[in-house]
Amino acid sequence: MNTPQILTRRSFLNTATGLAATAALSSLTDVPLFVQKALAEGTLGKPDANGRVKKLLFIFLRGANDGLNSVIPHGDDAYGPKIRDNIAIPVDPAQGWNVRGKALVPEAGPTGAAFAYPFSLPMGNGFAGLHPALKFLVPVYNAGELAVIHRVAYPQQSRSHFDSQAYWETGAPRATMVKDGMLYRAMVESGRPGRNSLTGVSFQNSLPLLLRGSRAAMTNLSDPTRYDLLGVPNTADGNTKAARALEAATGAAFPGKANRDLLQQQYENMRRTLEIFAGIDFSETGNTFVDGDTTDGNRPYHLFPTTNAKNGAGPSGTTNPGYVVPASSYGYFNQLKSAALVLNKTDALVAGTQIDGWDTHSNQGGVTGAHANLLQRVGWSIYALRQYFRRHAEQCRWEDLVVVTLSEFGRTTIENSDNGTDHAEASVMFVAGGGVKGLRTDATGKVARSGVFNCGPSDPVPWQTGMNGSMFQSTGRYLQRATDFRSVMGKLVRDHLGATQEQLDRIIPGYADPSQGLKSGGIQAQDKVRVTGEPDLV
Amino acid sequence: MKTFHLGWVLWLALGLGSTLRAESPDILSLTWSEGRPSLEFRLLPSISEYRVRSGSTPSATGPGATVVPGDQAGNRWTAGAAAGGDSGFYRMEAVPLPSETVRSGALLHRIAYGPTPDDLDRLAALGTDAYLEEQLAPETISEELDRVPDTGPVWRKVTLTGTGSSSTLYVYLSGAGDAYLDDFRLVAGPTDNGVATNLIANPGFEQPLAPANWTTTTNTANSARTTDFVRSGNASYHLVQVAAGSTGTDALVQTLPTTLNANATYTLSFWYLVQPSRLQLTVRLSGSGISLTVPLQGDAESPAPYHARLQEGTAGIGDLRAWHVLHAVQSRRQLAQVFQQFLENHFVTEYSKSLTYFDERAGLPYAWSGPEATRQEFKENLRWRRAFLDPKCTFHDLLRISAESPAMIIYLDTVLSRGDVSTTTKTNRIANENYARELCELFAFGVDNGYDQVDIEQISRAWTGWTVELLATNQAANPFAPRTTVLINPGLTNATERNSVTNLAGLWSFRYRTDRHDSRVKWIFHEHDAQGNILTNTPKTVPARFGPPWAGRPYGLRLNNGSTTNGIQDGYQILRHMADQPFTQEYLAVKLCRLLVHDDFHHGYDFTDAESTPEEALVKACMLAWENPPNGGPKGQMREVLRVILRSDLFREARTASAKVKTPLEFAVSAMRAFRAAKPDGSRTSVTDAPVLVASGGLLDRAGRMRLFDRADPDGYAEDAGGWISAGTLSERLRFVQSLALAGSGLTTGTGVRSNPDAMGANRIDPAGLVALRLGTDRSRSAEAVTDLLLRLLFPSEGAGNLGGYRALGIRFLNTADNGSTASAFATLTPGTRDHDARIRGLAALLLSTPRFQEQ
Repeated sequence: MNTPQILTRRSFLNTATGLAATAALSSLTDVPLFVQKALAEGTLGKPDANGRVKKLLFIFLRGANDGLNSVIPHGDDAYGPKIRDNIAIPVDPAQGWNVRGKALVPEAGPTGAAFAYPFSLPMGNGFAGLHPALKFLVPVYNAGELAVIHRVAYPQQSRSHFDSQAYWETGAPRATMVKDGMLYRAMVESGRPGRNSLTGVSFQNSLPLLLRGSRAAMTNLSDPTRYDLLGVPNTADGNTKAARALEAATGAAFPGKANRDLLQQQYENMRRTLEIFAGIDFSETGNTFVDGDTTDGNRPYHLFPTTNAKNGAGPSGTTNPGYVVPASSYGYFNQLKSAALVLNKTDALVAGTQIDGWDTHSNQGGVTGAHANLLQRVGWSIYALRQYFRRHAEQCRWEDLVVVTLSEFGRTTIENSDNGTDHAEASVMFVAGGGVKGLRTDATGKVARSGVFNCGPSDPVPWQTGMNGSMFQSTGRYLQRATDFRSVMGKLVRDHLGATQEQLDRIIPGYADPSQGLKSGGIQAQDKVRVTGEPDLV
Repeated sequence: MKTFHLGWVLWLALGLGSTLRAESPDILSLTWSEGRPSLEFRLLPSISEYRVRSGSTPSATGPGATVVPGDQAGNRWTAGAAAGGDSGFYRMEAVPLPSETVRSGALLHRIAYGPTPDDLDRLAALGTDAYLEEQLAPETISEELDRVPDTGPVWRKVTLTGTGSSSTLYVYLSGAGDAYLDDFRLVAGPTDNGVATNLIANPGFEQPLAPANWTTTTNTANSARTTDFVRSGNASYHLVQVAAGSTGTDALVQTLPTTLNANATYTLSFWYLVQPSRLQLTVRLSGSGISLTVPLQGDAESPAPYHARLQEGTAGIGDLRAWHVLHAVQSRRQLAQVFQQFLENHFVTEYSKSLTYFDERAGLPYAWSGPEATRQEFKENLRWRRAFLDPKCTFHDLLRISAESPAMIIYLDTVLSRGDVSTTTKTNRIANENYARELCELFAFGVDNGYDQVDIEQISRAWTGWTVELLATNQAANPFAPRTTVLINPGLTNATERNSVTNLAGLWSFRYRTDRHDSRVKWIFHEHDAQGNILTNTPKTVPARFGPPWAGRPYGLRLNNGSTTNGIQDGYQILRHMADQPFTQEYLAVKLCRLLVHDDFHHGYDFTDAESTPEEALVKACMLAWENPPNGGPKGQMREVLRVILRSDLFREARTASAKVKTPLEFAVSAMRAFRAAKPDGSRTSVTDAPVLVASGGLLDRAGRMRLFDRADPDGYAEDAGGWISAGTLSERLRFVQSLALAGSGLTTGTGVRSNPDAMGANRIDPAGLVALRLGTDRSRSAEAVTDLLLRLLFPSEGAGNLGGYRALGIRFLNTADNGSTASAFATLTPGTRDHDARIRGLAALLLSTPRFQEQ
């Protein structure tokens, strides 16, 4: 079944006076010829025989996530208090780190706080441990639907937040001439921007560079419950004078100037998408998705905790049995919910949001604290998205979706004098979805394949241990990459979303260049670092 | 057979006194329709008129030739009649706006927060050069916005005309507190001549209160008649509330003796005593047919009460934001105001981080931490403001203010950074790199411009020891002073309470701690090998791309100030050294050009290129003015750099006008200013209630989360359009406009403007009042005159030739009934009536909602 966009109300376009600018705008969203040709081959944005389309949800961790305290390399004896006196994550002395099998779920007491476990969680590959605040990743990991890719970066790493975020978003490190986003280009390649009102959608303060570009408008909303032209919902009598006049004003011809195409596109985008969003219940009362599983003592958590009550507050407003996410993250979970709803209820291909605050220069914390509070959001997000798309699938099933986290760089291996960490190089990415190739065990429960990449005892690019090892390999101070983030994104765009290799070469410039090793691995020419190429994720 | 030989000779006629380059409008297509030639052409910026002349030969189509009547609709021109004869030559002219008009519009959009009607007049009389020079010298412009008005009891009268929605009157405050009220009047009709029958019983509180006139509720039970302050007669009313009021159950209430006529017009007035309070007083009829909300502080627009609270240290962040916005709307020193916002955003700091520091680290109670964090933001802004009043203010002055500001020391984590030797590891502690990195990347050099990671590590060591401490008031400017020991209450017997920060008198200030400083030698901007080992004999040199006079200059810096108080010089020497390097000159020139010209500037130009773009040339001109100021003064004078940009050819070009998109702050302030004209009685046709604009959930927050003084990321708020424009933010801007256009008008639905969902407080625009002021009563009936007036005020640089689409739309809007389809001649509406007012409000809302009003 190929469900069309939801149009529960009379199309706003019908209110047009006939002066509308659609003719002028169509040229902006026209699909270039070469793309039309490629479209015939790839399946990017195309429904399969059952009407299913592959989709992507991104969560950008802005400020640079400390990968070493997210997925902890316990197998490297250099990790520990001697480099991170105040912030190192300890191992449970009762079991040690060298555990084989599935990842371990910690036991929580019947009334204990949800995150009381004070040790890292062994991931079962005899090397890596998860930060305890990420414990809700464990069920996803053990289901084989989560891949953890450590040591991800790119050549000639920038340690500027803004440059490095831009490179992650354009997919073109150090190529400042590339000004549009990687996922924007994927959307253009899908050929959909000319035909569908929604392709890429974000829910945050402003449209991220990932989705920015000049030829087609992607959509960003910070609060979809307020998304109504002229302040009131379109009523049966909504065809007002003001709406008509504005419609006409948007179509008036003017001489070209620097930002006029952008304005024109986004006004037009607003007109086209109002109806779609009006048909989805984004309200608090509509947020009824409950986690019915017995996770962590079968607590009455909502998948998208947006109030204390939905976050595990007890009957009298107490926190018992424990908040599953920090109360300060309700705004974020509202935006994550919006992204999930849009992927599930419209034909949008890509949606996402971001979590701010990862720039933990001071008082980063260890098992608890600022960084742990941020990781809690990530762990619960991925867990909740899995539950949501498994239970409430409409246009998107969990099997159709990949969730990916991005972050501009990792943080210094050695803590600073503020009990924090500074800007460094490689960090970690989480990739989850019904079709993701994660942990595989055989009939006896023995691990046939780990879901952890680049943080195990026998990686293709081995993790060198010790005080001169991987954690100190980049300019003697930082964790060195083993995989280029573009290999992860490229793998997802081609083998999940369905781009052809030819399309991928345009979506990620230079992807085919063998000296970059993005596809098959090798030594990256710029700084002579060996990388794995594409991880076997999907 | 009839043949046409229609030749189109294309050129652009120059307007009188114009300095515009001649460009021909491109003809995109030429078609015939029933014998009438019709052509599609490319519009040019800032054109007052497009016209076509004909003649029998090409040379006969000159300026004196016949103008062919025709109609222009956007980018299409069609002859009014079929072409006569067999052949002819035609010439298309695009008459540019006078360059002074273009430049005055551009100036008012870039060095001011958008034009006010009065500013446009003033520039037309003064000339753009004189205006620019005046604005570059703000100390010569008198400004008394922050002056506290006369003391003594001041009574204010407010009046509002609206519709009788019920016969019950509510009076209440927005929170717990008190107010003094006197002399209510409610009369039938749109005006009050002072003798018409007053419909309110016991209006001056001369009689005891009784159920027949006023009744109190539980919330207002402490209120009473009083003789303490009296406007007239022998008594007034002292309204005292326990909590915020909102309706008949918590207000002072009167059921009017006379039943009001629903939908008839009435005029309400009353007097209240001005108090330095943040509360709002509301007087309204049940049903809100007449509803009036006023700030008890009197003039809603005066920044003086905010300034007073900021000075005494009791202000919250909302006060600071409101003060800032009110200055943006009203200040006559507009360039200084724009520049201050630039500095606040360039040297960005985060109020919330300071608050957390004072609350969690410094031991202040939470309730004190907000005002303290606010004070730090205010203080640095005040210092920048004062610095710029010095005609020779340099970038170094401004950079140093930022570096010394406790807000910055806290924001980028210097406050806790240490480089002294650890007793456990016996090695120097690792300094926090945060400030060193952003100093290079964002505040001075620009990313990857003349520095690398090794420099950042070296620089980070220099800032160790820069902390924040509570210093005695008379020691607040002494960074070596110890914590104050002056007690607020020496009588406290409990030693913990006695010595806690809450009992210490002083000011939180910059303090340098020698015991935390990394006192080793620092080699900054020196070459190093691949392992990061510094080559101490090899300072870095300015790259060749800078050309003369900069290329090849060594710019290494060696610091060896030791471990005494001299160690403070490490930081100051770095600031002094970096402030005038070509990297800083380039990066700041680029940022100022992006602010004032257009978005498309970047650092990294090859200044030795023989063929430079206008952008590159302008950046270089700025750098030369920085390096060798024409007045022979110190390097880095900000006014000299600003002058170069604003007097450049690039700034004067028509394509520069409107080439930038407004930030949410610029959008809100420019909307208030666009309708802000002085009336003969001294009042204005727009009123700004700034706290509403900057509140959480206000426009600045909603349209992209522009939280002034509280930016989380150190890059500051975006200057480019892509950072602000999306479908979601546009819908918020449109909501704001609709709410603003309706606010205070008594209008709700069915007026062509939809009902507003967002509270606007006391924000008001009065477009009909502006029209009456400018056009007089008779011409206020002309749809054409009204539309032309608003187009000229809102889009002064666009030119009538390009505004034809909006003009036709505006005229049609005014001549259409509220249902959007029935013709309803605007000329039949009487100025001063509700219907006339509503029509013009609708037009104002429409024009503020257009794509063109998002531009500046």
